[in-house]
Formats: sequence, structure tokens, C-alpha cells
Amino acid sequence: MIATMRYEFRMQIRRPVLWIVYGLTYAATVATFGSTYVTLDLGFGEGLASKTAMISSASLLMSLLPIVYGCLIADRLIRDRLLGVAGVLDATPAGRTGRLIGKYLGTCTATAVPLMLAYFGRAVAYAITEGEPAALGWAVTLFVTAVVPGLLFLGALALAGPLLMPVMLFRVLFVVYWFWGNLIPATMMPTLSRSIFAAKSEYVAYGLLDYGSNLTIPPNVILPPEGIVYGPSPGASLNFLRPEATPAVAFLWIGVMIALAAAVLFLTRLHTIRTES
Amino acid sequence: MRIEISRLTKTYGGGVHALNGIDLDVPTGMYGLLGSNGAGKTTLMRVLAGLLRPTSGTVRVGGHDITTADGRLAVHRVLGYLPQELGVYPDLTARRFLDYIALLKGLDSRSLRRRRIGELLETVALTEHADHKLKGFSGGMLRRVGIAQALLADPRLLIVDEPTTGLDPEERIRLRGLLTEFAEDRTVLLSTHIVEDVAQTCRFLAVLVKGRLVFQGDVEELVSRADRRIWTVTTPGPAPSRGRIVGSRPDGGGTRYRILAATSPDPSAQPSEPTLEDGYLALMEAGR
Repeated sequence: MIATMRYEFRMQIRRPVLWIVYGLTYAATVATFGSTYVTLDLGFGEGLASKTAMISSASLLMSLLPIVYGCLIADRLIRDRLLGVAGVLDATPAGRTGRLIGKYLGTCTATAVPLMLAYFGRAVAYAITEGEPAALGWAVTLFVTAVVPGLLFLGALALAGPLLMPVMLFRVLFVVYWFWGNLIPATMMPTLSRSIFAAKSEYVAYGLLDYGSNLTIPPNVILPPEGIVYGPSPGASLNFLRPEATPAVAFLWIGVMIALAAAVLFLTRLHTIRTES
Repeated sequence: MRIEISRLTKTYGGGVHALNGIDLDVPTGMYGLLGSNGAGKTTLMRVLAGLLRPTSGTVRVGGHDITTADGRLAVHRVLGYLPQELGVYPDLTARRFLDYIALLKGLDSRSLRRRRIGELLETVALTEHADHKLKGFSGGMLRRVGIAQALLADPRLLIVDEPTTGLDPEERIRLRGLLTEFAEDRTVLLSTHIVEDVAQTCRFLAVLVKGRLVFQGDVEELVSRADRRIWTVTTPGPAPSRGRIVGSRPDGGGTRYRILAATSPDPSAQPSEPTLEDGYLALMEAGR
């Protein structure tokens, strides 16, 4: 597993397309969000708490870049078969389950490196310019609790999906899934957005880190009586998948993401066992 | 390491019978597996390498039952395998690719891996290309990388499927020598449709036709299938109409034909010594 992880990481991190596509998407994201994406105060003005700044940064990070993350992982599992290298690998004593996990971890980690650079680069810049070293601690906490679980699920999904369909078709469907299941407002149509099954979720921010009460609200904005909450969207369907954000629900979301990733990998292994013969 | 195969069948989806009731005993040493394209050689190799599950029958490799997970693992620990279609990671160098495979084969010591990879790159004459990416390698060079990876962990059983495909004559002779030397105290199963490769390296062989084993024995026995059936005719005119022409080349003003026939195909025909290829063709003829 370690050998596969090491080599899959090495092969993925050295793909020029990884850096090119991330770079282009980052540029497109900046163009879309404008100065909000590049300014270190994240558009909230002076005096923003470093925790809140890093939560906002994580939320922006998980807007479009995960599309690149999934699309770049999509060809990794099936390429062993396409390249014809699977026979040699399968004839070694290294277990296939171990190799699958190694490939998953190595590929996902390598593909997440540009994301990490973007996120932690911003955190470092924020910490320096704002004189807030605590931002680095919050950045690590946020990345581990609010970003990584979603990436774990997305990585497993992207690795396994092309076993069932051509890679290009999967990539198209993945983009559709990302917008449908994570970005569109929950009131627009039945969607997984804002639910505990959404890879891009604010449950950790709101449930664990009390994001809603830390926001600086402009005076002209009228808040609902319950304040800023994350969870059920009035008028949306599938609200039973959107419990109100609490610490328990935040942990539930983390667990759901990890469980989904494990389930997808398990099904992937079953699929390879079925196709071995 | 002995391979014992009993009543082995492999049927693919769609009812294609790739192997049909194979009984075969492969002793230690070099063993050839001959057959035309589509005869089932690669399927048999893949079953023996633990990559395909048999539909029925038993396969024991060194006493290990290949149909069980434990048996396959035990075989993989002593196996070197060169598939017919070897794939590589194009962006890795030859040295890195071999290092990866060595790690998967359990060569955990970095110094041991480095030494072994260096030796094998030297053996397959790729030392000067060791740090070049594999995407720039020719077919023959990739074949040699494949041979090196198969030998990495000093396997007790080496299964090589069409190893000389894409090699130039010099490389082919070099590889034959390497395999023969390697097979002194190990089992090497050489699958090929190139009869000359078997003739030059193996004492024992088996022949597959359409998934059935039609011959197993020593090389002389197969050669003897063409005894008194090989004739040479030199003529300036058309080829004799009787028998099967197995070779022809210009000779003086005419053409010298080598013919497989049960009786003399022409009044001027001279009997010739058969080769393994003649024996193989005689076997194929007899099966029609």
C-alpha cells in the first residue's frame, strides 16, 4: 500500500495538466468572484476574526476547485488497465485491496496539493498581513474538519465512477453533479446542496465553529428571527437531509463523508473482484 | 517448481471455451508452450499466474492450489511474469518503474533494490537508458524492461508470454541465453508461436490447438512426428502439387522447396532431416 501510495503520488503530482487546469480554474474563480476571492480580508472589511476569515476562505476554496480535483482523479484507476500494466501489478504479492487504498490515498493527496497550496498560501498571507498567527491554526483545523472529509468522498467517487462509464462522460456528469449537488440553492430544485450528503458543506463551520454568530452583519440586512443558521431551507424539498447545524450534526457530516468514501472503495473492490475472472 | 494441471477449463462470458480439459505436468527447467494465435496460450499463462480464475479443474504450482487466495499469494511470492502485452507507466523512468515493481514484490531494502535493478538493467542492456522516461522507449526496449521486471525478485517460477516479440535477432538470442541460464534450477514457462524460440531453448514442450492440448513431451518426440515426411525438391518450374510447402528459397536457376508429405511429392524429391517446425506442422496437419 505504501509503495503504491508513494508512486501514485509521484505520478500524479508531476502531471503538468494538474497544475495547468488548477491554474486556469483558479483564474476563472478569481474572475467569477472578483476581488472577494483575492483580498485577504475576504470582503468583510477590517477586524474580521481569523477563524471567520479562514472559514470563508475554505468555503471559497470548495466552490469550483473540487471540480478539477474530481476530474483529475477520474482516469487514475482505469489507466492501469488501459495502459496494460494491471497484469504485471496483479502478479505481484502486493494485495489488490492494499494497492487500491494506496492508489486512492496517493492520488487524492497529490491532487489536493494545489488546493492546499491555495488555501494555506492565503492563510499564511493573512497571518502575516493581519498579524494574526492564529489564522494558521484555524486554517489547519478547517482544512482537516471541513475540507478533507468532502475531498475523501469526492476522491473515491471520482476514482470509481469511470469503472462504469467512459472517463469523459464521467467528467461531464461529475461537473453536473457538483453544481446540482453542492452549489445550487436548495430552494431551486430537489438537490443535495446544504445537506449532510453534500461534499461542500458548512456544517462544521456553523455546527462546530459557530460561524453564524461570528459574522459581521451590515446594518441594512434584516436577519430572520432565529438568526443565521445552517440547515433546513424554508420552502426547499428534502429538508429532512438538512438538520440544523449543531456539533453533533457536524460530526455526523464528517462521518457520512468518510463512510461514503469507504463504501465507494468497498464497492470498487467488489467490482474488481467480479471482473478478475 | 512443478506445475500440475488437471482437467483445466476456462470458459469466458459468451460461452467461448478458451481452455478445454487441459492435463499438463510441467517439470523444473525450461518448458515451451506452442500454439497458433488464439490457441489459448495466453489464457493458460494468465491462469497459471493467478490472474484468471479457472472455470473448472485444478492447478497446483509448487504444491499451491492457484484457485485459492492463499495459493495465489504463495505463487505470486515466487513468480516472475511477463505478459504478452506489457504496459508501463510512460512518465516513469525505467529505473523508477522497476523500483516500483520491486517494492510490490517485497524488495523492501533500498540498497538491495538499487543493486538488483542495476544488475538487471545491465543484463537487458538498458543501463544507459535507465533514467529515461519509458514513453520514449521502442517496443524492443519496453520488452527488455518487461523481462527485467519479471526477474526482479529472483523468481522460482518465470512465466513469459511471447517474450521475443519485437526484439531484434541479437536481442532475441541474448534473451534465449538468459532464459536458459535462468532455468537451470527454476521453472521457466515460455509461451510463443515462434517455434524457433522453443527449439533453441526447451527440452520439453506442449502444443495447444483451440484450447486443447494436442501434444506434450520432449522436443525430439515432436520432431519425430515429421520423420520421413520432409522432402526437398529443386525445380525451375512450378512447385510440386503434392504435399504442403513449408519453405522455399531461390536456388540456382530454380527454387528449392521444402515439402511436408507422407510420400515423395515428386520423382526428384530428396528426403530431408526434419526440424521442430516440421514436427509442429506435421502435428497440425495430422489434427486436420
